[in-house]
Amino acid sequence: MSDRIVREENRVIRHSVVELAEHWAVALSGLALLASGMFQLPMGSRYYINSVPGLAWAGDYMVSLEVHYAASIVFVAAALFHAVYHGLRGDRGMIPRKGDIRTSIEVVKSFFGKGKEPPFDKYLPEQRLAYVGMVVIIAMLIVSGLVKTWKNIYAPDMSYTVVLWATWVHNIGFVLFVLAFLAHMAAIVLKPNRPMLRGILTGAVSLDYARHRHPLWIAEIEGAEAEKAESPAPPTEEASGSGESAAPPDAAAGETEALPLETRESPSPAENDAPAPKI
Amino acid sequence: MKSNNFPTLSRRSFLKTSAGVLAASGLAWPEKAQAARVGQLATLIDLSLCDGCLDRAVPACVSACKTINGDTIPPVADPIPVPWPRKTVEDWSRKREVSDRLTPYNYLYVHRAEVEQDGERKTLFVPRRCMHCDNPACATICPFAANHKHENGAVIIDQELCFGGAKCKTVCPWEIPQRQSGVGIYLHILPDYAGNGVMYKCDLCNDRLVRGKQPACIEACPQKAMLIGPRDEMLAEAERRARQMKGHLYGKDENGGTSTFYISPVSFDRINATIKKGPGRPDMKPGVKRQMAGTDPLGKAVLTAPAIGIVAGAAGALKWLAGRKSKLAEGGKKDV
Repeated sequence: MSDRIVREENRVIRHSVVELAEHWAVALSGLALLASGMFQLPMGSRYYINSVPGLAWAGDYMVSLEVHYAASIVFVAAALFHAVYHGLRGDRGMIPRKGDIRTSIEVVKSFFGKGKEPPFDKYLPEQRLAYVGMVVIIAMLIVSGLVKTWKNIYAPDMSYTVVLWATWVHNIGFVLFVLAFLAHMAAIVLKPNRPMLRGILTGAVSLDYARHRHPLWIAEIEGAEAEKAESPAPPTEEASGSGESAAPPDAAAGETEALPLETRESPSPAENDAPAPKI
Repeated sequence: MKSNNFPTLSRRSFLKTSAGVLAASGLAWPEKAQAARVGQLATLIDLSLCDGCLDRAVPACVSACKTINGDTIPPVADPIPVPWPRKTVEDWSRKREVSDRLTPYNYLYVHRAEVEQDGERKTLFVPRRCMHCDNPACATICPFAANHKHENGAVIIDQELCFGGAKCKTVCPWEIPQRQSGVGIYLHILPDYAGNGVMYKCDLCNDRLVRGKQPACIEACPQKAMLIGPRDEMLAEAERRARQMKGHLYGKDENGGTSTFYISPVSFDRINATIKKGPGRPDMKPGVKRQMAGTDPLGKAVLTAPAIGIVAGAAGALKWLAGRKSKLAEGGKKDV
């Protein structure tokens, strides 16, 4: 995590370049997979989709399969990269916490004018829950997709039971992925969530917005900053190695730099977790 | 030309195959199915022996196939829902007797080829049906896994799962599967907007194979022009006969390899040039390529994608950890 406050620009770095790349690789390849997956159904010709300029390939199963395969390479590699990269770093910000379900209900109610939403950490509780849902759906799609690909190339006569399982897990995963995508889009349309759109596009959100809605997150960043300023000595090897600290998980112990706040400019582009360029 | 020592499927082979078919039927768990793997069967069709059963109204093999499969298709909805927006309805229920082309009620027909060889006019009779390809696109890219190549080599459409989208027919180089609209699972879901019936074709009489019997067409052939047996043996026999008659083999390499081997004293180029082709009467072009072979390289790349992601993720994380460690060490030095 590269969460940092850039006060002179009134913004908070929320996502690193690596995280943005992961998100958009999965998102764009996922959309390509949805389209090419749908065209694996015999609908391109039936619904005259292949008559639409630029979509002639929708009626060609071999072309749509190639598009599906090409997008799968990005999708699968990005998903596995995400799991391994953040797993090894000990990033836990998106992992659901106790009470997330109850809090999520309160938040949803607040969207409809019932009650006030609680102060948030970096992520909303429903974001953490949705993350787990998306992980399950993507895992279903990847595992079943790999089985189907193996069958297509090497084992057309593999056990019919396995093929049926893989096919229907893939098809159900497809439906769930569409629903999750629609829910994701609906969430970003909600007015209180809109400022986060800037975050996933540029890597940063407005500091005013973050102070107002994510005070726990800002408090964590500022707490870490104050701690560093008071005691420039680095954290112990154990604490940083485990990725755990007194701060909540998404504060990612060891992430904040041991430099005075004023000197924090954009990090070196060579850094893996360098934030997105300023816009 | 007849030989009495043709390899045939032994009783023991049939029993072993039956176990494999049962295991592969979806009732057994994968481990069991894999354990029962018995190898693939193949058929041999010797065109030098087939006389087209000119003494009969319908060739014996076709007649036997129609009899065996007479009750396969359930009653057809009346009226048949008209799909939207492309209003294609294929109804053969009132033309069940058609036997000179492939239809949903006719999985085998005898294609006639009038050829000239050595200045002599000759008629060849070519029984045509599903080739049961080694890697059949019709089965591998069925979106509902309604079509599958089983471990005994038979490519079988499950009419309980098929939506009749005809994708299998589109990707088959011979357009073998035939659609009957107004039957099948689609009627219970969104008949106007998704699906359009069920696809039908030869299933190598899999039910009979399970019971240790031969496919009906093979059993009925009075000329013994068709054989079934382990694939390797059938291929060896087909090659032997082709050599012996200085003839030609079809089905070994076509569409990436099939489980049906035709042997003929006349080249298949010439047969293909003379047969009347059209809907339900496929061509017989030698050397037809497997369409999906073109997608295999990308598919193989997909299979490597997990390793790419894992290695890149581990490398990225290790670099990050190393960078943090060096920063910590640097900070420690400054503090001293």
